Amino acid sequence: MIKKITLILIMLFTVNSFSQTATVDTQVVTSEKNSPSIVVERGPYLQTGTPTSVIVKWRTDIATESVVNYGRVLGALTKKETNRALTTEHEVALSGLTPNTKYYFNIGNLTEVLSESVSGDMYVITAPNPGTDQFVRAWIIGDPGTANAFQRQVRDAYYNYVDTTATNTGKTDMMLFLGDNAYSTGTDEEYQSAFFDIYDEMFKKSVAWSCLGNHDAYSADSATQSGPYYDIFTFPKEAEAGGTPSGTEAYFSFDYANIHVISLDSHHTSRAIGDPMYNWALSDIQNTKQDWIVVLFHHPAYSKGSHDSDIEDRLIEMRENFMPMLEANGVDLVLNGHSHSYERSYFINGHHGLANTFSLEEITKGGNTVGANGKGDGKEDGDGAYQKADTDPEGAVYITTGSAGHVSGGELNHQAMYISLNKLGSCVMEIEDDGKGGQNMVIKFIRETGEIDDYFTINKTGVTSIANTNEPKSESGKVHYVAGSDLLTITVDRNERLKKVKIYNNIGKLVKKSRKKTINVGKMPKGMYAIEITTKNGTYIESVTIE
Amino acid sequence: MQNGIKKTLFIVTFSLLSAQVFGHGDLTKRINEKTREISESPKDFRLYYERGLLYQQHIEYTKAHEDYLKSKSLGNTDKALQYRIAEVNYLAGDYNAALKSITAYLEVNGSSDVKAKKLEAQILFELGAYKKSLYAYRYVIDTMKDLRPEDILEYCDIILAENDKNQEVALEAIESGLKLLGPNTLSLQLRKLDYLKNSGQIEKALEQYNYFILEYDRREFWYYKKAMYLAEMKRPKEAIISLKLATATIDRLDMKFKNMNAILKLKEQIKSLEAQLK
Ligand SMILES: [Fe+2]
Repeated sequence: MIKKITLILIMLFTVNSFSQTATVDTQVVTSEKNSPSIVVERGPYLQTGTPTSVIVKWRTDIATESVVNYGRVLGALTKKETNRALTTEHEVALSGLTPNTKYYFNIGNLTEVLSESVSGDMYVITAPNPGTDQFVRAWIIGDPGTANAFQRQVRDAYYNYVDTTATNTGKTDMMLFLGDNAYSTGTDEEYQSAFFDIYDEMFKKSVAWSCLGNHDAYSADSATQSGPYYDIFTFPKEAEAGGTPSGTEAYFSFDYANIHVISLDSHHTSRAIGDPMYNWALSDIQNTKQDWIVVLFHHPAYSKGSHDSDIEDRLIEMRENFMPMLEANGVDLVLNGHSHSYERSYFINGHHGLANTFSLEEITKGGNTVGANGKGDGKEDGDGAYQKADTDPEGAVYITTGSAGHVSGGELNHQAMYISLNKLGSCVMEIEDDGKGGQNMVIKFIRETGEIDDYFTINKTGVTSIANTNEPKSESGKVHYVAGSDLLTITVDRNERLKKVKIYNNIGKLVKKSRKKTINVGKMPKGMYAIEITTKNGTYIESVTIE
Repeated sequence: MQNGIKKTLFIVTFSLLSAQVFGHGDLTKRINEKTREISESPKDFRLYYERGLLYQQHIEYTKAHEDYLKSKSLGNTDKALQYRIAEVNYLAGDYNAALKSITAYLEVNGSSDVKAKKLEAQILFELGAYKKSLYAYRYVIDTMKDLRPEDILEYCDIILAENDKNQEVALEAIESGLKLLGPNTLSLQLRKLDYLKNSGQIEKALEQYNYFILEYDRREFWYYKKAMYLAEMKRPKEAIISLKLATATIDRLDMKFKNMNAILKLKEQIKSLEAQLK
């Protein structure tokens, strides 16, 4: 029986390596020579990657210990993380890693290595520190889980793209799944054939993230966070990878380089304003200082594909309830699936009504398209990139990209869409320097044929600008402080006698009282303070940052 | 607090009703497909059960209920069916029938089924049997492997429905939720703030605002919210200090955040509150 499984696995690997012509030398070797008594049936795959940690998961046919050997040099995996408990569902967290660093690894138990890549295709590159401006590539996969040839073609087209692209060849920083990862009910077996068997190779070197789709939800129970979807994925509910702690894997956020990614559950969780997911998303987006904000959820805010955002409740609620809030707080890109097509919007803002109320010409504040280029194609070699200046940070592109496993048509005539295609494919997002102190977010739709049927750029200025240094001017003109100095000076008019000065810290607590015009603040902790100045003419309250 | 719950219930009911006018995409198609299958094998109880599930997702509870009963009459003894009958009764607002079926379910399948216990608690809550509901929900909280913040909040709602003076008990539930789900779980910390304010624990409520201010990277919104509360509590000077800190925080934001609509609106709100306080 065990031998049979091994054989099947070997056959799967063979199929994989045939289909990935561009990467023939990257097959993962299950150490056959020792004929291990234990078979790795799933994974390894990577979860919740942060600058200093990552979770490695895999499944074995027989319960055994969990060991991950890892290190920066392929031939010298000198570090080891061990979990001695016997299990078939292995989950090992590596921590204390260096940001932005490649670690090779293999997996096994206390006696042997069960899965490794001799060619070095089993590794994790830790996330850069938040705020880092560097090249980032994300592979975006919507509604893939058919386990059929279409899904493999779409996958292979991306593999080929990433292995032959001129810059940062072979680098996929993250996989963003948009839900419906395994048809038709997201069972464990379906996840095996439509998810693990398909993307096995990429899972060994790129962290996979997801949001919940309706088909995942048939077997997953968000109410109890149980079922295959929640067992398979390990998402950060305590903001382990940045963002705000949601307390649930159903919705969460994370930071990667200078991108903040928010994943919402548009299926099971209440989408009402004021309910927990909304409150969390609001606090989360209003707490980020990242340059780019990307939001994913399954049910599209705009679609006229196999689903209609004018008449389906979840789609309407996401658009009406979440979009105004996300837009007011600077969202750049919204990724949805559910409709099995590719529909990509103009550079839009404030369109929360029905498709036929969208107007390309409406560009005033809160209007439908943003900026001079907003109603164009967004192509640098066409109408020009969409512009997002730091003086006017409005506008986002919405992509419904649910054709990574099949297409299912629809009218495909949503007015907000620049382009609507009933074509198989997946998307790639690449963020790169624009050479002018800003960055470009470039998105491409890669067909199953390898053709790029759509692409566009959002250009954002002021990305690399350092923190704001112009200290606000004193409102009353009475407080003077020079950064780095020990002294705070109060000046009052000649006939305005100073009576007292009170200094409050950043939570409004009184920390110092004085009657003098010059106050030594050298020993006070750095930070923001409020100064209350009382003269015989009245009281003035001002803020000052001591640094 | 009772009001709060009623409001929630109202919203829930309302959204259930309003959802009926919307479609669910391919559900209709799949229902039709099932109906066709049923016409081919009208004695197959599995098909009725499956169509019932689809009807239920389509918010057609009466039809779902009919299909479940039909499935049962054709010999379906699966416990999942029994659970769904209780669930659809609950969703349709027939709480007495729901209680009957969930009680039967729990008797047959043992009272250790967490999901069924939760449904039982929700049904009991609707029937106003708050003590029993609490008892059932307590079991859920203690037993469920992967608790969500929503569960803790629902449990707190029941605590306060049973006795609206039990703010302290609700607070304890929140604290235990924070231990289970992580000390900074946002929706629980927000609810804690609500309870502290509602029970008139002003200093503790202010401490809770300070918790948010210190815990978060961007503090401008929290400073403003604290200022609003201070203004409400007739503590204008402290309110102004908080507003000044809010403004100073905004001034130090990167340009792109300063120009975001949410921040522009916040600046207006700060200005108008400041004007009121002067
Ligand atoms: Fe879907």
